[in-house]
Amino acid sequence: MSTTLSRSRGRFAIIGVGNTEGGVMPLSSTGDAMFAEAAIKAIKDAGVDKAEINGLVTHGTEEERVHHQRIGAMLGLDANFSTSVDNGGASQVASIITACMAIDAGLCDVVLCGYSADYRAKIQRAGKKQAVQLVPESMLAGQFRYEFGYFGEMASYAFGATRHMHLFGTTREDFANVAVTQRDYASRNPNAQYRKPITVEEHLNARQIVDPFGLLDCCPVTDGAGAVIVARADRAQNIAKKTAYILGYGIANNIDGLFAGNNMFQTAGVASSKTAYEMAGITASDVDTAQFYDTTTAQTIMQLEDYGFCKKGEGGPFVSSGATGPGGIIPTNTAGGLLSEGHVAGMWHILEGVRQVRQSHPPERQIPNAEIAVISGNGGNSVCHGSLVLSRNPS
Amino acid sequence: MNEYTKPLPTPTADSQPFWDACRDEKLTCQRCDDCKTARFPPHHVCPNCLSVNSHWEEMSGKGSVFSFTVFRRVYDPGFADEVPYVVALIELEEGPRMLSNVVSIDPDKVVCGMPVKVVFEKATQEITLPKFEPAES
Repeated sequence: MSTTLSRSRGRFAIIGVGNTEGGVMPLSSTGDAMFAEAAIKAIKDAGVDKAEINGLVTHGTEEERVHHQRIGAMLGLDANFSTSVDNGGASQVASIITACMAIDAGLCDVVLCGYSADYRAKIQRAGKKQAVQLVPESMLAGQFRYEFGYFGEMASYAFGATRHMHLFGTTREDFANVAVTQRDYASRNPNAQYRKPITVEEHLNARQIVDPFGLLDCCPVTDGAGAVIVARADRAQNIAKKTAYILGYGIANNIDGLFAGNNMFQTAGVASSKTAYEMAGITASDVDTAQFYDTTTAQTIMQLEDYGFCKKGEGGPFVSSGATGPGGIIPTNTAGGLLSEGHVAGMWHILEGVRQVRQSHPPERQIPNAEIAVISGNGGNSVCHGSLVLSRNPS
Repeated sequence: MNEYTKPLPTPTADSQPFWDACRDEKLTCQRCDDCKTARFPPHHVCPNCLSVNSHWEEMSGKGSVFSFTVFRRVYDPGFADEVPYVVALIELEEGPRMLSNVVSIDPDKVVCGMPVKVVFEKATQEITLPKFEPAES
């Protein structure tokens, strides 16, 4: 491991955040309009002038290339540095890390990172019921997948969950406790897509999707957007009330794929968090709240293990003990996560981490005295991973 | 014979020999001529040593279920009569892992680690799919 990691500790900060609000967006919402709404709010929140933004990092949808150019033109940005990243669900964390590296290299000073999704509206406008029906014909061509009836994202995660249950004795009740706990947090979040509290029994009785997952193990399709402004910490210190310092970050990918080694039940968060913790000069015991990219209930359990909050294989009983709930050892996905707040590809996990360390939430949502938050992005069939350590203080 | 209505694989230049062998009811993988590593899915280059020299070799057809899932919902009309069906990652005894189906068993009886052996299902004149059924350990 590089001994120079600590060089970047606390040198950058998230100085503004913005998002679409209200839970479920009207079907007329477009991805561009939602991106613009989130970006305008983030710029205002940061207290910067649009002319100061000279960097832009985005993540487009699967069909779109050079997404950042179109977004930059829409917002009239004069960006020296712009790009779109392609790390699946790790892309939003990777966007912020890319922004830090670009600022560090002197390519830009103030960077807008953003993401928007309008899949739900697209599916319904197209008269379809399932996201998988939007998969273009060109993607359905191929081999070693569809001919065996292997469809949809949830199936990929199901393989890992089955193996985790086999090796460690994790139960469907453990998965249920993840969903119930996160829904409890979401019930206090007016921006969440699903807010009605659920019980373990309701979870277990929900219709089965793809074993071992039932409906409430799977994240929904969500429309919405989020954006953040990244700058050097010295720029941030002028407006300290709204700053979340980036103490550390890491990227690691299980690049040999979901089906290789132990990747299906052990995320690249093992290596990614090690880097981020080392840069930040902390250990898991210093973290006050975690926001984990939870495509399924099983993903929350695996990352609690991979980030060192419990031993590998003990994530199920750890959650079922109440460790991730309010007042627990590590309150996790405190806005509801992908499962209940909604799947804006992890951008809202970052916003939640920022708001917790700013301590800007109303009392019913605030983790008391939250100083340090860890955030993950996990995607590309669980191959790509990124970690952020945010802090109320610069060191 | 009824018309085959499920998705069919689209062979590539790299994978055509695999599908040709399946048509002859032989399960094959590439093996590197230099470091001897067996690999799947098919690629031009060995991921272990980057050698581009390899040959196709018949596998024993024996392996075990590394993990699996049961589909209970229909995502493609071709599978309407199949649900519930098992999609599994098979670890061949020679090492490579291969996505397939476990057939000839109640889906609720499939477990990780269970021994399986290949069987072949003819889909069309061109395509025969390698599937797996329970085997003696």
